[in-house]
Amino acid sequence: MQRESGPVLQVESLTKRFRSVTAVQDLSFTVEPGRVTGFLGPNGSGKTTTLRCLLGLVRPTSGRALVGGVPYAQLPAPVHAVGAALEASGFHPGRSARNHLRVVAAAASLPDTRADEVLEVVGLTDAGRRRVVEYSLGMRQRLALATALLGDPGALILDEPANGLDPEGIAWLRTHLRERAARGVTVLVSSHVLSEVQQTVDDVVIVSRGALVHAGPLSGLSSAGGVRVTVRSPDADRLLPSLLATAGVSAVPRGDGAVVITGLDAAEVGHLAFLAGCEIHELSVEADALERVFLDLTGGTP
Amino acid sequence: MTPSMRALLAAEWRKVTTTKMLWVLGLIAIGYSAMQTVMLTLIASGKLPGVPAQGELLLDPDYITTLLSQAGTAATFVLILGIIAMTGEFRHMTITSTFLAAPRRSRVLVAKMLLYGLLGAALAVITMTVVLIAAIASLAPFEHAPITVSVFTTVLAGAVIGMTLYAILGVSIGSVITNQVAAIVTALLWVLLVEALVGLAFPSVARWLPRGALNSAMNVGLTTDVSGGMTQADNLPAWGGVLVLLAYAVVFAALASRTTLRRDIT
Ligand SMILES: Nc1ncnc2c1ncn2[C@@H]1O[C@H](COP(=O)(O)OP(=O)(O)O)[C@@H](O)[C@H]1O
Ligand SMILES: [Mg+2]
Repeated sequence: MQRESGPVLQVESLTKRFRSVTAVQDLSFTVEPGRVTGFLGPNGSGKTTTLRCLLGLVRPTSGRALVGGVPYAQLPAPVHAVGAALEASGFHPGRSARNHLRVVAAAASLPDTRADEVLEVVGLTDAGRRRVVEYSLGMRQRLALATALLGDPGALILDEPANGLDPEGIAWLRTHLRERAARGVTVLVSSHVLSEVQQTVDDVVIVSRGALVHAGPLSGLSSAGGVRVTVRSPDADRLLPSLLATAGVSAVPRGDGAVVITGLDAAEVGHLAFLAGCEIHELSVEADALERVFLDLTGGTP
Repeated sequence: MTPSMRALLAAEWRKVTTTKMLWVLGLIAIGYSAMQTVMLTLIASGKLPGVPAQGELLLDPDYITTLLSQAGTAATFVLILGIIAMTGEFRHMTITSTFLAAPRRSRVLVAKMLLYGLLGAALAVITMTVVLIAAIASLAPFEHAPITVSVFTTVLAGAVIGMTLYAILGVSIGSVITNQVAAIVTALLWVLLVEALVGLAFPSVARWLPRGALNSAMNVGLTTDVSGGMTQADNLPAWGGVLVLLAYAVVFAALASRTTLRRDIT
């Protein structure tokens, strides 16, 4: 099912200070419809604050955050335009999941049957009449997601949606978000671990300490930080000069006959070795390249 | 279209009916008021051990209005109901989904005030009915001044208007003090300590406070004085009591709209 493409999300020179804490600092980025964008950064880097600004829950100190060109509060039908699941968004413990959804449905003038439909989508049909106090973290995440889907929105804004989900749930979420994006929905998903969303996202927006450090397609991330290729050869001394002859390449001998190279991919390193007539004992690409680049960019530990 | 007031009222009604708060507080309010009425009859009749009979009190028409206006006790619970309506949203962070569905926050505030005002009025009618039954039943064995329709309707009118405004006041207080415990403790300290003490020591000041204004609106005949006896109440005129309550509601609603509408929801 094709739908009209969702709204563009724009964050423009956004700054938010809470008394002495600067949570977000002069942050600008754009999120396009029809793609899944990962909003990444370590804990405390300002992701939740930015999303809450986009949703009109937090008032920016300066700058603005727009949905389809307007502030959230001016959207004519907010629940239909944007579905949001925020970290620490709450449910009344004594209310059932179904009743929680029916409250939101009533406010959005949606029929009660929508509540049952979204419960089905997230796999909570059987638990829907139970009080939320009995729910596990993963079930709450599913309910938050169900709430976001209620208005079949053009944009989805999900804050750390994978937290507390079992692997099966994460896999399901991945497929679901990809399907929505393929139908033209704008999808923005935050996470503090890249590996969690690596297989889901098309674009990444990376923040650290409230400021932007990188924005662009996921494929551009490795070149942004440089994937490391390790080559081990008894002829490392001969290989090194030919590697360094290429502009923009760094090659650092590691002592055990291995050289760590950035700026070339494995095939290029293999080709140079072949030309130089070097015997190769190992040629490997670092396994967690993206994660390391992510950590380098954000200057932190996960 | 942004959520219509009708949609917001429907959502608020859903919130009320899907938790137990209204039933619990409502039942306590009604039961407590009826119990107060019966207690007052028993005290005056001298049927309580150790309490001398004050039979002539039961013949005083003012004592009858006093018995009936024990329904005013329910107002404190209505106030707390209104407080919980708002602070509960912050306590459980449902305020996030509430404001996501209705980003024009003033409309949420208005919807809550309308609905809880109506609930306050309904609770006043039910409480007054139960209190009337309690008064008739407990007075039956004794000689007493008549409970006339006009006495009952006067007290009823004051109770309905008063509890409507108390509920609205509660919603406003909950919007200003969003911490549920802090808001309820503040309200209870006010009712049980400040208003009670001022009522004993400075009755002429107390009538300008919410409970005094409510009592004025209900035309309460007698109040407890410093010695523990009953004296003629120092009331405002009923319309004056209503106006004073209205003034409190308006001032707090203005405060509420200034705070709730600007607050960061994090
Ligand atoms: N309501 C608030 N009051 C004060 N500081 C806050 C508030 N909300 C967030 N912060 C601070 O802002 C920074 C960014 O927080 P947050 O946006 O939650 O980051 P993230 O979602 O990336 O973990 C943190 O230092 C946090 O402590
Ligand atoms: Mg966060």
